[in-house]
Amino acid sequence: MSRIGVFVCHCGENISRTVDVEQVAAAAGNIPGVAFSCDYKYMCSDPGQNLLKKAIAEHNLTGVVVAACSPRMHEKTFRKAAGAAGLNPYVCEMANIREHCSWVHENREMATAKASDIVHLMVERVKKGKSLAPITVPVTKKALVIGGGIAGIQAALDIADAGHQVLVVEREPSIGGHMAQLSETFPTLDCSQCIMTPKMVDVANHPNITLYSYSEIEKVEGYIGNFQVTVRKKARSVDESKCTGCGVCIAKCPKKKIPNEFDQGHGMRSAIYVPFPQAVPNTPVIDRENCTMFQSGKCGVCAKVCGPGAVDYQQEDTLTVESIGAIVVATGFKLYSIDRKPEGSMIQGYGEFGYGTIPDIVDGMTFERLASASGPTGGKILRPSDGKEPKQIVFIQCVGSRAREKGISYCSKICCMYTAKHTMLYHHKVHDGQAYVFFMDARTPGKGYDEFWRRAVEEEEAVYIRGMVSRMYQKGDKIIVMGSDTLVGVQVEIEADMVVLATAVQPQEGADLLAQKLGISYDKYNFYSEAHAKLKPVECATAGIYLAGACQGPKDIPDTVSQASAAAAKVMTLFAKDQLERDPVVAKVNEKYCVGCFACKKVCPYGAIEEKEIKDRQGNVVKVIAYVNPGVCGGCGTCQATCPSKTVELDGYTDEQIMAMIETL
Amino acid sequence: MNAKAQKAKGCGIEPAYYDAVTQAIRSEAVKVLKEGAVSAVIGYLPGRRKSAAVPAVVTTEEEAGRLIFSPACVNNLSLYLTKAKKGILPGGKIGIVAKGCDLRALAGLMGESQIKRDDLFIIGINCAGVQGAVAAGNGQLTEASIAKKCRECTAHTPEGVDFVAGTLPHLDGLTPLEAEELARIEAMPQAERWAYWKEQFSRCIRCMACRQVCPFCYCEQCLCDKNRPQAVESSPRPAGNTAWHIVRAMHLAGRCAGCAECERSCPMDIPLNLLNRRMAQELKELYDYEASMAPQEKGPLNQYKEDDDQSFIK
Repeated sequence: MSRIGVFVCHCGENISRTVDVEQVAAAAGNIPGVAFSCDYKYMCSDPGQNLLKKAIAEHNLTGVVVAACSPRMHEKTFRKAAGAAGLNPYVCEMANIREHCSWVHENREMATAKASDIVHLMVERVKKGKSLAPITVPVTKKALVIGGGIAGIQAALDIADAGHQVLVVEREPSIGGHMAQLSETFPTLDCSQCIMTPKMVDVANHPNITLYSYSEIEKVEGYIGNFQVTVRKKARSVDESKCTGCGVCIAKCPKKKIPNEFDQGHGMRSAIYVPFPQAVPNTPVIDRENCTMFQSGKCGVCAKVCGPGAVDYQQEDTLTVESIGAIVVATGFKLYSIDRKPEGSMIQGYGEFGYGTIPDIVDGMTFERLASASGPTGGKILRPSDGKEPKQIVFIQCVGSRAREKGISYCSKICCMYTAKHTMLYHHKVHDGQAYVFFMDARTPGKGYDEFWRRAVEEEEAVYIRGMVSRMYQKGDKIIVMGSDTLVGVQVEIEADMVVLATAVQPQEGADLLAQKLGISYDKYNFYSEAHAKLKPVECATAGIYLAGACQGPKDIPDTVSQASAAAAKVMTLFAKDQLERDPVVAKVNEKYCVGCFACKKVCPYGAIEEKEIKDRQGNVVKVIAYVNPGVCGGCGTCQATCPSKTVELDGYTDEQIMAMIETL
Repeated sequence: MNAKAQKAKGCGIEPAYYDAVTQAIRSEAVKVLKEGAVSAVIGYLPGRRKSAAVPAVVTTEEEAGRLIFSPACVNNLSLYLTKAKKGILPGGKIGIVAKGCDLRALAGLMGESQIKRDDLFIIGINCAGVQGAVAAGNGQLTEASIAKKCRECTAHTPEGVDFVAGTLPHLDGLTPLEAEELARIEAMPQAERWAYWKEQFSRCIRCMACRQVCPFCYCEQCLCDKNRPQAVESSPRPAGNTAWHIVRAMHLAGRCAGCAECERSCPMDIPLNLLNRRMAQELKELYDYEASMAPQEKGPLNQYKEDDDQSFIK
């Protein structure tokens, strides 16, 4: 016979205002199997918890129901207290009579009756409940960082400095990401490369970091502490172990007129190339689509001139499987660059801007390259069409961002600041030039940010026009920018030599596909979703996977670095333990009756269900059934709802418990 | 309508068609057994009564030479491959004779990890139809004797099989009686429709023939047999009957192959296939899904898509 204790909490006045707690406690005392019931002002307080512990000992209780707030609030508190009094923590359950009752009702009589019902339900559930033991899983103390931009670099260095092994996987031939492309950074105007490249070198030289550049994630299996990650190392056509990075191959390559991606297509590179001089690793890669050797089989100059014999045209993609304990996703962003509506996309495009057709309309990243000392113009601001210095330049903010009708409703966050920076860079380089900015609002929260923007307006002579541009077209060698000044209430027409669009920040290409491999969720724009917008901003809902940087939402460098370090701290917290303890509220399969239709496997959002072979004594496979890996199971119960014969059940929420609850009503 | 008029409407399929299919099945079954490609062939043998047929597992060439296909070959043979009927078959690769609706069941079972395509040699039939529960005297298929499901069949031609038996004769369109009946019931006011089904379910004697004959009811322990806790009352009383038929229809949604064996085997003539068809119709409208002859990795009710129709949430 069960001996259940029921403890009804007043929650100050939060519950007792609408619920007659004394009556609820008295009614609970009459339920068969309840050995003790009482009410108390604050059950979660120290005296409240002691009351519970004392009652367990005195009345020899076999189960506990605390009628108070949501289990999300205090389930852990009371389970711990019950555990301390010698009871199995999992026979302690909470009846939520605050959020589910007192807060949402006004009629005291009815609310009291409902609270009594809720308590009765939980008593029946606890009666049928079983003692559960926590599950422990081992932790592989090696982290995977996906993406080698500033977010990935920072996270990798932090984790590696803490003494753990880190694997960095970067899709491009070099790490560095977008930050390596920037000329100067706000709000201090320090050179981006000067602060970035030392960190890149640190990654390459760190004894705890293994760098897989020009590689992609092929497959991710497993769960927190125990991921199995398959990495595809794409064929570089250059043996990294032999190459000394001397650069002779690049110098001798006869194919040199290929638009350089690093310079946004405005500089040229050879078919065998490193993306930029400070690249890490400094190992060239052959662009097979543009290489004469690969296209026609004739050339082979790079192989001939290579002293160490590192060029290998036969190299193939290789797959490596790594055991990983935690994953930091830092895949970053791309800039919106759509001139017309793509098929099947919610994005509308900016055909009316001549975007993509007028060569002197460029995006912010192209302007960065034009302003950069290492860029295609050597740091001179020259327009792409004819190489002339633009004397009138127009910057347009919020292109794509905050435009619901165009398909993106969010603010890209960094554009106000980088446009202000662009006007300054322009003013510093073209002294007799004039910069105009079309803007909706100037959003400058951040340390030193508003001062920076004021400086652009007040000291660096940028003319800010509050309004949007409706149309742009080429007239002679000028671009006619037609817009409105909404503060003055007039139409504005500017004859510009060049236009820079602060286009929206979007998640990287293929962000959704990677999320599907990782089993993490993403929003309609493909930004990855954090577990809680406020309290878990770097964790994913999938345990053991953390987010850093712009892959989660538009971010500037300081925010990105902060989040990367936060993600690294989360990884270190995980790695501080040898064994992970997990809540035992997991699903279990009744092996006798499972027929192995694997409907559960198809619906499991955690990938926790595996196929298990049942063998007879001779070792012959009798049947193949479902097995729930307790380390992966999230305890959502979807399998239980799906199983046609109900042979999989969630501990703590068994059909028997649920039916017992329903039958009390 | 006299026999001649029926013939004129094209409902009578020439016996020569069934003979040709029979010959093709026999020669192919003999061949695969002789080659040792399969250890057994599941097909139909003549029954004891005239014009009758019984499902059979044949393991010798001699037996295989007696296999037939006739309007009486109504059974969905995929049933014998399921775990519910384990022990009937020898080990090794199995040959199976399959009509279009049987093929949909095979595909469904493959999608549910119950059978593997590699373990099967499928002899698909270019099927002109089989008879309903009441057979005509001479065993020929007429408009009066053809099964209701066959009147509006969309699976005459087998797909993805190892061997195709017979050539499809010309088939004239027949009145879709089931679709008409379904439309009639759908048009009823809700209370009347509920009264209709209550009346139907009240006749159920819980013999479970519909479960026994269904290739998709392969669970080792049916939810409806569980008693701790008991989800469905097991004695033939209205509440339990209704619960059972709702569970059956819901568990078949997105899976049912449309063979209508449940309805054929029902001793109380409950129009079970109407429920099956209604569920299929629902899935077609909501998820653009239809049971097909190709195995699907996930059925519509086992997956979530962002663009799924959610209008049913009110």
